[in-house]
Amino acid sequence: MTRTDFMQGNTACAEGALAAGCRFFGGYPITPSTEVAEHMARKLPKAGGVFIQMEDEIASMASIIGASWAGKRSMTATSGPGFSLMMENIGYAVMTETPCVVVNIQRGGPSTGQPTMSGQGDMMQCRFGSHGDYSVIALAPASVQEMFDLTAKAFNLSDRFRTPAFLMADEIIGHMREKLVIPDTVPMQGRKPLQQGVLPFHPDEDLVPGFPQFGKGYGVHVTGLTHDERGYPCATSPALHEELVKRLVNKIESHRDEIADYDVVNPDAETVFISYGVPARSVQQVLHDQKNPDVGHLRLKLVWPFPDSALRIFKNAKTFLVPELNLGQIAREVQRHTKNEVVMLPKLGGALHSPAELTTVLEGYL
Amino acid sequence: MKLVIDERRCKGCNLCTLVCPYRIFRPGKTPNRKGTIIPELDRPERCTNCRLRHLYGRTLCGMCQMICPDQAIRWEEEKPNEPHKVAIEY
Amino acid sequence: MTYQEWFREDRLPHIYCTGCGNGTVINCTLMAVDEMGWKKEDTAFISGIGCSSRAPGYIVTDSLHTTHGRALAFATGVKLGNPDLHVVVFTGDGDLAAIGGNHFIHACRRNIDLTVVCMNNQIYGMTGGQGSPTTPMGALSTTTPYGSAEPAFDLCELAMAAGANYVSRWTSYHVKELTRAVLTGMQTPGLSFIEALVQCPTNYGRRNKFKQVLDQVEFMRSHTVLIQKLKRMEEQGEKFPDPVIPVGEFVRRNRPALGVKV
Repeated sequence: MTRTDFMQGNTACAEGALAAGCRFFGGYPITPSTEVAEHMARKLPKAGGVFIQMEDEIASMASIIGASWAGKRSMTATSGPGFSLMMENIGYAVMTETPCVVVNIQRGGPSTGQPTMSGQGDMMQCRFGSHGDYSVIALAPASVQEMFDLTAKAFNLSDRFRTPAFLMADEIIGHMREKLVIPDTVPMQGRKPLQQGVLPFHPDEDLVPGFPQFGKGYGVHVTGLTHDERGYPCATSPALHEELVKRLVNKIESHRDEIADYDVVNPDAETVFISYGVPARSVQQVLHDQKNPDVGHLRLKLVWPFPDSALRIFKNAKTFLVPELNLGQIAREVQRHTKNEVVMLPKLGGALHSPAELTTVLEGYL
Repeated sequence: MKLVIDERRCKGCNLCTLVCPYRIFRPGKTPNRKGTIIPELDRPERCTNCRLRHLYGRTLCGMCQMICPDQAIRWEEEKPNEPHKVAIEY
Repeated sequence: MTYQEWFREDRLPHIYCTGCGNGTVINCTLMAVDEMGWKKEDTAFISGIGCSSRAPGYIVTDSLHTTHGRALAFATGVKLGNPDLHVVVFTGDGDLAAIGGNHFIHACRRNIDLTVVCMNNQIYGMTGGQGSPTTPMGALSTTTPYGSAEPAFDLCELAMAAGANYVSRWTSYHVKELTRAVLTGMQTPGLSFIEALVQCPTNYGRRNKFKQVLDQVEFMRSHTVLIQKLKRMEEQGEKFPDPVIPVGEFVRRNRPALGVKV
């Protein structure tokens, strides 16, 4: 039955995972993401799942990959420094095409930085942090409700494309309390199992192979080395490596439009805010106050793969304003995809752009 | 049964020469086509497993096979009319 | 069924050097698995990175060849994700004791129901013979050209202190004993740690006065003493001449274990 609750973003994230059928959580305490682990520790055993507090974030990431191969939907939650530790195994999950969800409640960095303050400085790290070429899926919630909805969605995308999916939230959304409507059921799109007689890493037409879960008699060899369609390592063939890495990237990039998720306000506007995550809330306030059809808003709920087609919806756009809690990580990505003027509105230190600040900037472009 | 060294797998480490209680394996002398010096078999019909495996219904001794790091040693069924020597032990 | 049926025939011969003991340890482990009567679909082999960790690639079951040192963390996830699976971890000394040291002690502390077979060749073989945490004092390697100046880890003592339910050490020469130890480890609930000393003729032996494969195996044969005998000698005030490798069963106990199939 649909119920309404009032809770913190981190708790909503855990609830979203539980609703999506997550039954394994491996984590390590780190501010400001700890509440996700705490809520999972309380709820997972009652739901027949496993919660385990690992010895570090490296092991957390490893354990959820292991659990994923054992057939569980699995998740971990962390923040900046822990996210850095996970990078190696994130690359492993990409190479072995392991579905799993990583929640990053971003804080101020680099290094230990500002544990209790907000930031969006990990947006590039989640895309490019591990070594080698690859592509990932990253979502950015801007409310407690989205913490729930997008967590559930992350599991579906992760299973659909057999890739790690990131929920790139931040401290403000994580610790903010808001109304949350928990639906009866959430949409579920599970893994497509490997067909009998098909090689374990032979992709279907959508470039995604079926999932040969452990314990089902597939006898699959999974390795982080460059492997052929049988899963056997063959690390010295240039052609094989190129084919594999290109497929890993293309299976996501060729589905950009299918994956894309965004809200559009005033598509005919000339000046357009592009936001994701918590700065979207200040932008929404500005639009609410201005009531000006010449000010548009593109709110990205999903940042990677970057939905470049969304930029073309704004046909009259002359200027894109990109407020972010970093020094312009996604603004640069916007620049890559448009010839229009892109204005970076970076902000560091943990505080959010105030609507007044954004209004002042906006008035310079109207 | 007869004792066989699989030439495709043997890398010539001679560990089998160390463990066989009958000293059936002897270090080889000439390299094969791959350049590996495969151990030679000295009267392999003396091997306990060759003679008595069927009688006991299980692997007897089997040390050479266990220690062979390259999984190159095995026993093969002999063909029905294959001539084979009879070992006389003194 | 024999243990040979557990090999991926199409991948043999394996990549190990001539005389490497890792292949022997795989034989012994598969022999134990076979004697346990486990089904192929219910068994998973997991490993990290290194010579030893290539082993699961030659076994027909589901196998996970993971990142360096993290095999036990991955195995924890697999085992807790599906406790019906029998999980065996192949690892090496560098993988387990250096980069994976933290995961090792915590897996022992949790006493999770895994069988861990460590092929200890006392060197980093795959990268060309660098010193490892188990390289004996004075031994030569490419990174200890004047002899290792650091004391070595005793992996069995470490596993015992950290809380593993079953700990034993044998060598690749003692195939029957090693098989029995792995078998006992598989039968014991909780974490079973079996250290198998293996010869590495290419990278350890030829730098440390073992010119032939058989020299190092002969050394392992002649310098191993049962741990029980060593203790008895110690009680009587005698001392076995160095160097000595204590082998045998170090501990078998029944601490509460995690992830045991119910």
